[in-house]
Amino acid sequence: MPEFSPGLEGVVAAETAVSEVDGANGRLIYRGGYLIEDLAAVATFEETAYLLWHGELPNRDELAALRRQMAADRRLKDSTRGTLTSLDLTTDPMDALRTAVSAQGATRSITKPTLEEAIALVSVVPTIVAVTYRRAKGLELVEPRDDLGHAANMLWMMEGKEASPDRVHWLDSYLVLLADHGLNASTFTARVIASTGSDLTSCVVGAIGALKGPAHGGATFAARTMLDKIGTADNADRWLREAHAQHARFPGFGHRVYRTYDPRAKILREMAKAAAPELRKTAEHTEEVALQILHEAHPERPNATNVDFWASVVLTGVGIPKELFTCVFATSRVAGWTAHVLESLADLRIIRPASVWKGPEPGTKPLPIASR
Amino acid sequence: MTTEYVPGLEGIVAAQTAISLVDGANGRLVYRGYVIADLAEDMSFEEVAHLLWYGRLPTRAELDGLTLEMAGSRTLTPAAVATLEALPVDTDPMDVLRSVVSVQGVEHRLEKPTIPLAIHATASFPTILAAFHRRSLGLEPVKPRADLGQAANYLYMLNGKESPPELVRALNTYLVLLADHGMNASTFTARVIASTDSDLASCLVGAIGALKGPAHGGAPSQVMDQLEQIGTPENAEPWMREARKRKVRFMGFGHRVYRVYDPRAKILKAMCERMNPGFFALASKVEEIALRILHEEHPERPQSTNVEFYSAGVLQAIGLPKEYFTPTFASSRAAGWTAHVLEQVANNRLIRPQSEYIGPEPRKPVPLAERG
Repeated sequence: MPEFSPGLEGVVAAETAVSEVDGANGRLIYRGGYLIEDLAAVATFEETAYLLWHGELPNRDELAALRRQMAADRRLKDSTRGTLTSLDLTTDPMDALRTAVSAQGATRSITKPTLEEAIALVSVVPTIVAVTYRRAKGLELVEPRDDLGHAANMLWMMEGKEASPDRVHWLDSYLVLLADHGLNASTFTARVIASTGSDLTSCVVGAIGALKGPAHGGATFAARTMLDKIGTADNADRWLREAHAQHARFPGFGHRVYRTYDPRAKILREMAKAAAPELRKTAEHTEEVALQILHEAHPERPNATNVDFWASVVLTGVGIPKELFTCVFATSRVAGWTAHVLESLADLRIIRPASVWKGPEPGTKPLPIASR
Repeated sequence: MTTEYVPGLEGIVAAQTAISLVDGANGRLVYRGYVIADLAEDMSFEEVAHLLWYGRLPTRAELDGLTLEMAGSRTLTPAAVATLEALPVDTDPMDVLRSVVSVQGVEHRLEKPTIPLAIHATASFPTILAAFHRRSLGLEPVKPRADLGQAANYLYMLNGKESPPELVRALNTYLVLLADHGMNASTFTARVIASTDSDLASCLVGAIGALKGPAHGGAPSQVMDQLEQIGTPENAEPWMREARKRKVRFMGFGHRVYRVYDPRAKILKAMCERMNPGFFALASKVEEIALRILHEEHPERPQSTNVEFYSAGVLQAIGLPKEYFTPTFASSRAAGWTAHVLEQVANNRLIRPQSEYIGPEPRKPVPLAERG
C-alpha cells in the first residue's frame, strides 16, 4: 500500500479530457485542447459549456439550440420557490443555493445523470442567485428574459434592468475563465458522489458545499475583504506587513498546482483596468507588496497571485456584491462539475480510498455503563 | 511527485483515522478500538455516537447529558418545515433528506464544525424522515418525545405510537452497526468537503448525495426489489441463472474491503432469521445460490454477502417502507460522518488530488462564424 499523502497531493484520482492544469507551464487547457487565453478571446459562456459537455465548440445552429434550451430551463419549480422564500433573509447565499438546487433537482426516483439535466442545472443557478440577492434587498423577483444570454440575463434578473454591454462582457469572461479547473476539491467531490451511481443533483449539491469553503471558492470573497481593509494603495505596505507579522495568510495568493502566474489571473488583471480602475490601483500595489513579502519569507516557493485575487476586482467592476462572489463562482463552475460527472459515467467505479488506522489496538472489551 | 492513476483510489490512503477500522482480512469492524460484535447487542445508538465523537464510551452522567441534548435537537426550524411541505409528496425521501438537512443547517455566517453541531444534526434526521413519511400518507407530523431514545423516538414519530421493545432494540442494533465504516465513499465525500473549511451541513448534504447511489447505500431497497422478483425459494436458482445471462448484478453481494463474511451481515442475518422468517427462507436460499454462482464465475474472488442484503429483511421486520431503508442508513451514518468531519478539521489539509489529461494536444479555437 502506498504511503499516506496528506490532501492526496500528487495522487492521480481520475483520467479526464475536460480540462488540464499544466502548472509547470502556467497553462490551463479546456476540453478539445484549447488554451484558456485563446478560448476567452472568442467564446461566450454558453459556447464554453457546450465545449466542456461535447468536446467540440458549437456551430451557429448548435449554439442557437443550446441558448433556446437554456432560456427555457431558467424557471424555478414551485417547490424551489417555496423553499427559497422560507429562508431567513440573512441566510448565507451559498446555503440558499445549496438548498434550492437540492429542491429543484428533487425527483420521485433516482435518475442517471444526463446532458439535459446538466443544461437545466446550469441554466437555473443564476435564477436562484438573483432571487437570493433580491430577497435580501426586499425586492420582488424578476422573471428571466429568453432573449438574453446567460450573463446578460443574470444581471437582468438581479437588477431588473439591462446591464451595459461592458458589464455583461466582463461577467461572461469571468464565467468562461472559471468554468473548469482540473480535479479541484469541488469537482472531485462531484466525481466521488457520481461514482456511487447517484444522481446529478446530488453531485452538484455536494460540489456547492465544497466550493463554499474558504480554502476553495470562498477565497474570492476573502481577497476582496482584504482589499477593503487595506482601503487605499498607500496603506498596502503597512497593512500587509502587520498582517504578515501576525502570521495572517494573504487570500488570493498561492496555489497547489501553478508554479508560474495563473493564466486566468493574467486575463482578469488586464480586464480590471477597464472594469474597476480605482480598485485596481489598490489591488496592483497590494499584489506587488504581497509578492515581495511572500518571497522574502519563502524564497523557494513560487508564490504567485491566483485567480481569486483578480476575480474579486473584476466582479466588483461588474457590480456584484462580495457576499455573492462564491455563488457567481458556482454559476460558472457548475458547467465543469456536470461535464466531469457525465465524463465519469463512461467508466464508473466507486471511489473508495483506504485509510490508515491510528486508533487504539482493536479488541478492547467495552465496560458496562455502571463500571465506567 | 505524482503517483500512477489507480481507478477508484483503490488501496490509496486518503486519511489517517482513529474512528473506525475495517479489517477486511480478518472480517473485523472496529469502532475506536472496540470490535463491532461487542457493541452491537448492549449499547444504545447514543452511546456509540458518543464513542465516535469523543473517542470513549460515556459515563452514566455523560450519557444522560447527551440523551437530553439529542432530545432537545429534534425540532425542525420553520424554514425546514416549510421546505418539507413545499416538496411534492412523492419525492424520493433521500432527496427530501438532502434538501431539508441543507435548510436545517443554514447559517448566517460560516461556522466551524463542532460536537454540538454534530449532535444537533444527527438528532434531526429521524424527525425529517418521519414527518415526510407521514405527510406522504396524508397524516399530521407527530411531535418528538424527549423521554425516548433515538431508535424508539424515530419509530414513535413514524407510527404515532410506541413500538414493541424488540423492534426498538432491533432498530437500535441496526443503527449501531451502520454508524461508521472506514473511508467509504460518503464519509470520504464529507471529509473532502470539510477539507475546504466548509460547514458541517455542506459535508452532510454531500455525504447524503453519495450514500444515495446504488453502489453505496442505495442497495437495500434494490435487494428487496430483487427478492420480490424472485418470489419463492424454488424460483431462486432458475431466476438467478437466467438473470446472470443478462448480466444482472446480484444486489447485496461483494465488497471492496472484506475478504471474509462481513461481521455486520452476520449479526443482521441472525436477527433476520428470528424476526422475519418469511424473508429469511427466501433470502438465505438466494444467498446460497448467489454465492455459488459468483464462485463459479470468479473462484479467485472472495464474494461474500454484504451488509445491505440482510439489512433489508431486518428493516422490513421493523416496519419501515423500503423507500426509507437508505434514509434510515443515513440517520445512522450521520454519527460517523460528523465524527470524521471533526477529525478532518482537527488536522486539516485541502484534499485536492491530480488528474491525468487524456484530451487532445493544445490547438487554436475556430471563431463561431467559421465553424462548420
